Amino acid sequence: MSNSQVRIVVIDDDVQLVESVTTLLESVGYEVFSAYQAEKGFDLAKEKRPDLILLDVMFAGPPGPDGVEISRRIKNDPVLADTPVVMLSGVKKVLELGYEVEPDDTFMPVAAFVDKPVKPDVLLSTIGDILNS
Amino acid sequence: MKLQTTFNLGITFIFIVLAISIAALSIQYVNTNTIREARNHVTIYTRAAWEIHNSQIAQIQAALEVMAYSDSLGELLEHPEDEPLRRAVMADLEGARQELGMDILNVLSSDGAVILRSRYPYNHGDNFYNDPLVRHVMVEGRSISGNVIFSQERLDVEGEGLLERVLAIAQEPRGMFIGAAVPVIRDGEMIGILEMGTLLNGAVEEVDRIRDAVFASETYAEKPLGTVTIFMGDLRISTNVLDNQGRRAVGTRASQEVAEQVLQAGEPWTGRAYVVDTWYLSQYEPIRDPDGEIIGMFYVGELEQKYLDIRQQAVVLYLAVVLSGMLVAFLIFYFLTRGVVRPILQLSVATQQLSQGDLTYRVDIHRDDELGDLAVSFNAMADQLEMQRHQIEEDQRRLEDLNSELRTTNRNYMEMLGFVSHELKNPLSSAILSLYTVKDGYLGKITDVQERSLASVARSLEYFQDMVKNYLDLSRLEKGELKARKHDIDLRAQVIEPVLDGLRKGLEDKGMSVVNNVVEGLRITADGTLIRIVYDNLLSNAIKYGKEGGRVELDTRRDEGAITLRVYNEGPGIPASEIPKLFEKFSRLEHPEYIREKGTGLGLFICREIVEEHGGKIWVDSEEGQWVRFSFTLPNN
Repeated sequence: MSNSQVRIVVIDDDVQLVESVTTLLESVGYEVFSAYQAEKGFDLAKEKRPDLILLDVMFAGPPGPDGVEISRRIKNDPVLADTPVVMLSGVKKVLELGYEVEPDDTFMPVAAFVDKPVKPDVLLSTIGDILNS
Repeated sequence: MKLQTTFNLGITFIFIVLAISIAALSIQYVNTNTIREARNHVTIYTRAAWEIHNSQIAQIQAALEVMAYSDSLGELLEHPEDEPLRRAVMADLEGARQELGMDILNVLSSDGAVILRSRYPYNHGDNFYNDPLVRHVMVEGRSISGNVIFSQERLDVEGEGLLERVLAIAQEPRGMFIGAAVPVIRDGEMIGILEMGTLLNGAVEEVDRIRDAVFASETYAEKPLGTVTIFMGDLRISTNVLDNQGRRAVGTRASQEVAEQVLQAGEPWTGRAYVVDTWYLSQYEPIRDPDGEIIGMFYVGELEQKYLDIRQQAVVLYLAVVLSGMLVAFLIFYFLTRGVVRPILQLSVATQQLSQGDLTYRVDIHRDDELGDLAVSFNAMADQLEMQRHQIEEDQRRLEDLNSELRTTNRNYMEMLGFVSHELKNPLSSAILSLYTVKDGYLGKITDVQERSLASVARSLEYFQDMVKNYLDLSRLEKGELKARKHDIDLRAQVIEPVLDGLRKGLEDKGMSVVNNVVEGLRITADGTLIRIVYDNLLSNAIKYGKEGGRVELDTRRDEGAITLRVYNEGPGIPASEIPKLFEKFSRLEHPEYIREKGTGLGLFICREIVEEHGGKIWVDSEEGQWVRFSFTLPNN
């Protein structure tokens, strides 16, 4: 599977970051769709049926579901259930989770975490590893 | 012990000692005085008694001298054979004898032969050479009187009854007489001798007369106050001392001590004497016959009980006076000391109150002495203390207000810092991502010059990122959010490896190798998030300041109850002079090696805060130009 056939949906409320990520991913040939709100991102994913979803954890603005909630919805959605999710940001730090909680499929069904700020090669190798597995 | 009790015990002790001393002295004084007085009395009584006795004897002599002038007596001595005359004279003399209460009245010739016995007229013709009275008259031709002893033969010839009287007292056939002998003189020539006397053995008249005259028959406690006794030798022959049956206590003998002093040495004896059943203060005087021979003793005794009672009364009076005086003195002392002790007590209570923090306590003592001054000073001191405490409390309140204000300001500042840092994070993240996307050539090849320039921007952004991270940590630290929530965690898997993962790029860039000697599966009890911040900071420093291509080593050491975690790297090291300020907030090293790599001055401060929050400590060892090793302990591991 060449990169040009791969679809990636990026969901993050940080417009600058979404643009940077999109630029990078498109530079290596991925097809990128992006959303700036959690709900809209979920709908976008259902519509585009991507091979991978990049998802931020925290969303500013009006109250709504956060990244953890969306990751569960994706897992429970019959269409998206098998789509891998990469969490943007150090989840444990942000959620103040203690070390007794290990994120698992029930709590937060994600394939990987990528701490911000992330360097291009790290992000790309993470995505590449998941797509190739 | 209470002060008042000490005073009371002290003064009581002093008073007891004084009382005993004064009592002993006064008893001694009273004793000596009464005894001296009593002896003086007895001596005077004895002298008086002796005078009375002598005057009795003198009376006998005087009566005889009157009789010696009788005409019929002269005629009889001229004509002893004239029987009618003899009868007439005898009748006269016998009348006189009986009237005078005498036992014998004899007429003798001038050479001492008995011419007539008024009491026993049938017996005459014997002579009295042995009679001291008669012998003295014969030799000196003068009247004489006194006490004499008559032998048994003499008693026999003097007539019936006398010897019986003597023997009724004791088996000693002699008798003591008082009497006199006078010459009968006619025309200047002694023609005969008259002798008269009375037997003292068993007689009571003489001793009773003496006693009545001296003691006026007084009694004391139903006993006669004074007694008089006449001894023949050491034998009591006449007395008014009564024995247990109420009879005259004659026939007994004086003590050997008395007999020796009076009869043999011829000296008076004064002292206590136990007579029948009572003690008497007594004096014994020797009785001498006209030849100067000691023939008996004259005793006068005064009941001792009277003096004992006087002495007792005196002692009681003395003691009463002394004791009541002492009682008064004690009471005065007690009230005086109480006057002193009570303010001291008050001051003591007040001092306790003060020391227990009640600074409002004051003493209420108004006196003109040092205690009054003390009370005034005490109250002044308490005032001062209270004022100072108010001042301190006031200052403290102000300080607390100020502190709270400062805390609020600091929190506001920190919140703002946190907010700003957080807001910076996102743009920084996208800037870094974009920068590296360009720099790493994803958007087309770039020149070396462009890459160098972009690398410089990247370093600045990374510093910026460090700063944001540290300010966020600092903000949480200062707001007290970095509380250690300890859990049992896998040090290597959950802390060190994730940190190393994040730093791998940096390590590779500097060509550094990591030797991780931390045992796999080693578990510690700590807040993993916080310990990760510590490792992140220490390892970031190692990368930032360590030697290019150098070695980084991680290990742990177990000590009693604690674990020491260490991060070592090769590099320029830290000069000893810089070490003390290393863990201070905003500290920056002035070493030329470090100036190129700008730090926030917060990383090690945050590390120290986190380690101390866990109850541990952090320190650094270094050999300048060679290596640096940071160590920190986590207790209870």
